[in-house]
Amino acid sequence: MLFNEIYSSYYSAVAAIISRAVEGELTDKDIYDIVREKAFSESVVAIPEALKNGDWPFMLHDNSTVINNTPEMPLSTLEKRWLKAIMNDKRIRLFAQPVEDSDDIEPLYDADDFVYFDRYTNGDPYEDENYIVNFRVVLSAIKQKRKLRIDFNTQHGESRTWVLIPEKLEYSSKDDKFRLIAWLNDSWFAINMARITGAELLEYYGDVTPPEREKKELELALVDQRNSLERVMLHFSHFEKETKKLDDTHYNIKLCYMAEDENELLIRVLSFGPALKVLAPFDFVKKIRERLEKQRNI
Amino acid sequence: MPYSELIKNFERIRDYMRQFYVYGFKSRNDYDAKSARSYDNERRRIESWLGEYMEFRQDNDGKRVFLSVDSRSAAENPLYKAFKAKSFTNNDIAFHFYILDTLADGEKCTVADLMERFTDYFDSLDEPFVLDESTVRKKLKEYTKLGLLKTQKYGRELLYSLPEKTDIQPLENAAAFFSEDSPLGVIGSFILDKFDEKPDIFRFKHHYILHALDSDILCDILIARQEKRNVEIEQNEMYFTLYPVKIYISTQTGRHYLLGYDHRHKRLGFFRLDTIVSVKILESEPDYEEYEALYSDFASKLWGVSNFGREKTEHVEMTIHIADNEGYIIDRLNREKRNGKVEKIGDNTYKFTADVFDSIEMLPWIRTFTGRIIELKSDNEQLVQRFYSDVDEMIKMYGGDADAV
Repeated sequence: MLFNEIYSSYYSAVAAIISRAVEGELTDKDIYDIVREKAFSESVVAIPEALKNGDWPFMLHDNSTVINNTPEMPLSTLEKRWLKAIMNDKRIRLFAQPVEDSDDIEPLYDADDFVYFDRYTNGDPYEDENYIVNFRVVLSAIKQKRKLRIDFNTQHGESRTWVLIPEKLEYSSKDDKFRLIAWLNDSWFAINMARITGAELLEYYGDVTPPEREKKELELALVDQRNSLERVMLHFSHFEKETKKLDDTHYNIKLCYMAEDENELLIRVLSFGPALKVLAPFDFVKKIRERLEKQRNI
Repeated sequence: MPYSELIKNFERIRDYMRQFYVYGFKSRNDYDAKSARSYDNERRRIESWLGEYMEFRQDNDGKRVFLSVDSRSAAENPLYKAFKAKSFTNNDIAFHFYILDTLADGEKCTVADLMERFTDYFDSLDEPFVLDESTVRKKLKEYTKLGLLKTQKYGRELLYSLPEKTDIQPLENAAAFFSEDSPLGVIGSFILDKFDEKPDIFRFKHHYILHALDSDILCDILIARQEKRNVEIEQNEMYFTLYPVKIYISTQTGRHYLLGYDHRHKRLGFFRLDTIVSVKILESEPDYEEYEALYSDFASKLWGVSNFGREKTEHVEMTIHIADNEGYIIDRLNREKRNGKVEKIGDNTYKFTADVFDSIEMLPWIRTFTGRIIELKSDNEQLVQRFYSDVDEMIKMYGGDADAV
């Protein structure tokens, strides 16, 4: 159903090549550039060749085309059903007004078909009008590369007003929260959207390229007992990582994490009990030992 | 067949991608010897699709290939690319662009009209090419089913035309968000491919991307569920006939599960989506309301996705110490308690209680409170024993003495 050539990168690339040809200005270099952008690394051989030799019968020798119109594929029923399903999501008003359409299209799913059983329950107030307004201002600022003035409450309940460069909106499905990732005075900040009480668009900030957020490396020793190999590998699969097998039951894992997430990572490591041992960094090991010591003495 | 970076069947590549992404420590020799050539082809394909995430390591036992993705930094789920690599024939692609072009101006055509118009293309080409009528008829039927064409009766014939255009521009931000967050986000990714420039606004923390490889399986299950139909699933070379009730998603492991009414065992049961090999959509289920009614009581006794067919629950009590400046721990208890209850029983003491089918499932969560647990009690002795013995083992593992690091 899903796995169909109509959605393929090859079709997208060929559509873009034909579009350029319909406009009347297609060069061989354009073909290669489009293929590189739209398809895969080895496609730069297959696609131009099939177009040139007539296996795919659209192009003439002078790079003009027998096609008259810019190819526009309509939405498939599956795509329409997916769009209908997201229209029923409680977060849709953050991005767009739900569309009332007259099509006899059934949503592909209903929100309550899914149970996020380990999601935290203090998620963002997606139906709060002020939240929606602020969210849209932040979203516009990121898209338009404009500075942002925000009023927000700190976690200690103090009010603050900052002017900052917004980078991205970061969503966590586990927390069910959005955070504004922003840059100010040579530092990165992650501010919970739910703490923002007001937001105002300011001037275009141009081409500022902030540095990467600080990352650290965690080294772990894993003993595969009670299927812990699979559990650990899946649990930490969203990190950039490298795993070495030492023998049939012992593995060494190195993963990169953002410095700000250390406390969270600590309890995630603890949740695996003795199956997982932290080897480095030293500070991380020390914190685990403090927790264990505290538990022994409680 | 010569090698191609495109694939006809998704199942084999699904397993390789999973191995490269989740584990990444296997060498070529660790895969089935009979499929060494297949390994080379699949590795080459994945490298072609996902080269920027592919890494290699050479050690004494051979070359290790793995996918290393920091999904928090990635603008979009790279695994979706596998769904955009379906192979096709020359006739398939010829029909696709000819039909879109022929009907672009809103015309309605019979098969005969279309054949005539297609002949105009053939006549203009430098190299000979022909699409025969039976191929065109087959493709028209397929495209109508996909919703890319609509039909209208004209006497004894059918008139084909393109459906009305949908203005997707106002939905670009929503498509960008839900293409990553929706369990079937790959469809959003297909839609985003239609935009000249994709919005780059969002990033995702705790972003598990592996489930993308199960999208085809999930899609069929959801279609069956919408139509209140049973499904037959194949898992570990066994077949189960189920009525799909819910999809359970773990935001902390990325695992997706089908909760279905198992007709053979006459009970609700969980099936991991990544272990399901195929789904067949069956007949409508007349008693679906009965099976869905079982859900609410069942769900109230689950901690996660385990019940082992049990009827009875196990009681768990955890008493924890929270210092005056540690209000965030109370917040943690409240947001993470699921079906449990939290009560204050002293100035700095809180008690969490829960009754669940399988209390062992709670152990990883209980361990996250290590350092604060005053008492752990349960009518499942194994839970309590394992918690305390694991703490002892960890103390030994880390040297037994905090000063000796």
